[in-house]
Amino acid sequence: MNNVLTIAFFETWLAASVRLAGPVLAVSIGETVCQRAGVLNIGIEGVMLGSALTTFAVTYSFGSPLLGLLAGIVCGLVLGLFLAAMYVTAGLNQVVVGVVFNALMIATASYTYRALYGNSPVIQSVTGFDQIEIPWLTNIPIVGPALFGQSPLLYLTLLFVGMTSYLLFRTTAGLTIRGVGEHPRAADSAGISVPKVRYLGVLTSSAFAGFGGGYLMLTAVNSYRDGITAGKGFIALAIVIFGAWNPYRVAVAAMIFGAADALQLSLQAAGVSVIPQFLFALPYVLTIVAVSGVLGRRFQPAALLAPYSRK
Amino acid sequence: MSSKSSVWYSLLAVIAGLLLGAILFIPFNANPLESYRTMFGAAFFTLEGLGTTFTRATPLIFIGLGTVVAWKSGFFYLGFQGSLYIGAVGATLVALSARSGHLLAGAPAVIVFASSLFVSFLFGGAWALIVAGLKIRFGGNVVLLSLMFNYVAIYFVNYLVTRPLRAVGSLPQTERFPEKAILPRLLGERNDLHLGFIVALVAVGAVLYIMRFTKKGYEFVALGLNERASIYAGINAGRVMLQAAFLSGGLGALAGWSQVLGVQYRLLDGLDQVTGFEGIVTALLGGLNALGVVVASILYGGLANGAQVMQRRTDIPSSVALMIQGIIVLLVLTGPQVQQRVAAWRSRHIARTESTGDIGS
Repeated sequence: MNNVLTIAFFETWLAASVRLAGPVLAVSIGETVCQRAGVLNIGIEGVMLGSALTTFAVTYSFGSPLLGLLAGIVCGLVLGLFLAAMYVTAGLNQVVVGVVFNALMIATASYTYRALYGNSPVIQSVTGFDQIEIPWLTNIPIVGPALFGQSPLLYLTLLFVGMTSYLLFRTTAGLTIRGVGEHPRAADSAGISVPKVRYLGVLTSSAFAGFGGGYLMLTAVNSYRDGITAGKGFIALAIVIFGAWNPYRVAVAAMIFGAADALQLSLQAAGVSVIPQFLFALPYVLTIVAVSGVLGRRFQPAALLAPYSRK
Repeated sequence: MSSKSSVWYSLLAVIAGLLLGAILFIPFNANPLESYRTMFGAAFFTLEGLGTTFTRATPLIFIGLGTVVAWKSGFFYLGFQGSLYIGAVGATLVALSARSGHLLAGAPAVIVFASSLFVSFLFGGAWALIVAGLKIRFGGNVVLLSLMFNYVAIYFVNYLVTRPLRAVGSLPQTERFPEKAILPRLLGERNDLHLGFIVALVAVGAVLYIMRFTKKGYEFVALGLNERASIYAGINAGRVMLQAAFLSGGLGALAGWSQVLGVQYRLLDGLDQVTGFEGIVTALLGGLNALGVVVASILYGGLANGAQVMQRRTDIPSSVALMIQGIIVLLVLTGPQVQQRVAAWRSRHIARTESTGDIGS
């Protein structure tokens, strides 16, 4: 295996890691806010799928990836409103709603694609955004292409990471969100509308999931097929936990998952036939360790998964 | 809501779901009534169609039963996809050991059948037990833990079929199981129905009996309703949760058992990516009740089967089946909420008219 471990290998692997981490990181950032408000939005998997299709359809029809991306976000918001009504207003079990919603979206996306383009469509593809290559800096060995030759959406996502961290830990709004996730009754007593904050949390995660779905469509896949998100929404849940509900750590966690994902592609490209599956499973095992609280659970929002009612 | 009115409500939701689902045929210029006739005709009114419907329902029944046991006990397990994969591995190991020159080569088919059932159940049960153990020992979140375990199971199967169990050939899969390890067809070679469906019905009876008539079932439900109260009543919460996890994981594993031994006849990469979650949805449609699970699974198995036949004949995609099911489940879920809200609104409305009457303004 020694012959594959060249600088070129690391360069492509690292660049692919960052590229693959991007869309999932975007989804994870929104989910972080939502979970900080006490709602586990499992439905982001379905939102991603719906928005990926919406982005595809709009970009295909109008030829504008920007319009497609915006349509994906709008689709995310609409689906988020529905999810919030189920989670918050109806106070239903968040796990139940998420699971049913995802199953429904898998079918709806598949159906809609066929309703739009026919039952056995010729695979069409859309062009996304071009990569931005920052001059000089992309020539830095190993890290250059990974950090300075990526899609503009990645830089936007990294900006969101910083903004979300600032929002959560440096503003009153952030304190409100965290308060609702830790102790909704106390927040309610302090005059905060728990339903309102949670609606905003679910809408944020759904909008980001919509953005992430569009991002995936416009940078990684460029054409629609069934099951295109392949559980990336669930992976985002893992990333949020592994990142201890902290945006910067979430970004690092997304990179680790992205690196594991990219390793499969890079090894295949390098012609390695002995694929080390345990390496791919490693991020999930690490997440299991993180979730199970072996290392302590002090970060998990205390009211996560608990619907709130005044009664 | 009493169980009787909830049955009526579910029935109403099914009808409403089918009516709403009728809209889905319009973009394809199809007559909804005729489409439904094609679907239900193909799924329920021929012997072969019925065989396929029951075969499709089989893994859903197993996972639905697993969901009933787990969720009624307050163990919100979402790891049935993992259990299915691990159960498939257990069944595969036994089936492959029935090849000539291996451990069970000389054993009669009945022994191979029984040991595959046993090993598969044991594997899936142990798999779910890890999640329950982590929850009890460290207080981890079952929902998130079990979701992660699904991926570990998927990579484990991926490893098995690409390395140690891989057959000669271009595809990552094991070799075909020997004839005596395969579940026999019940109605001839042209009908899909296999012995797994009968096992599923036996499992329904067992779960029904455990949940309704045994102390253990009472402990499961008590734990699920109120953990603290059940501990106070002398129930060993940790132990009961472990038992519920083992039972539900084992039942989920039998979904994998029936798929590899009854349908696919070999272990392959990505063997089943949907049933793990659809089974949960089906259990919810069945009102988390063993009998309801059978009805819901057969309904969904039939919808899916009928939709597939329809897709072959017309342009209408088979995903309409899953959409209709999703709509029905959403209606079932939101039903009590809507009822409550209407009742609250009515009582408020009555109170308001009465109070204005009292003041006599």
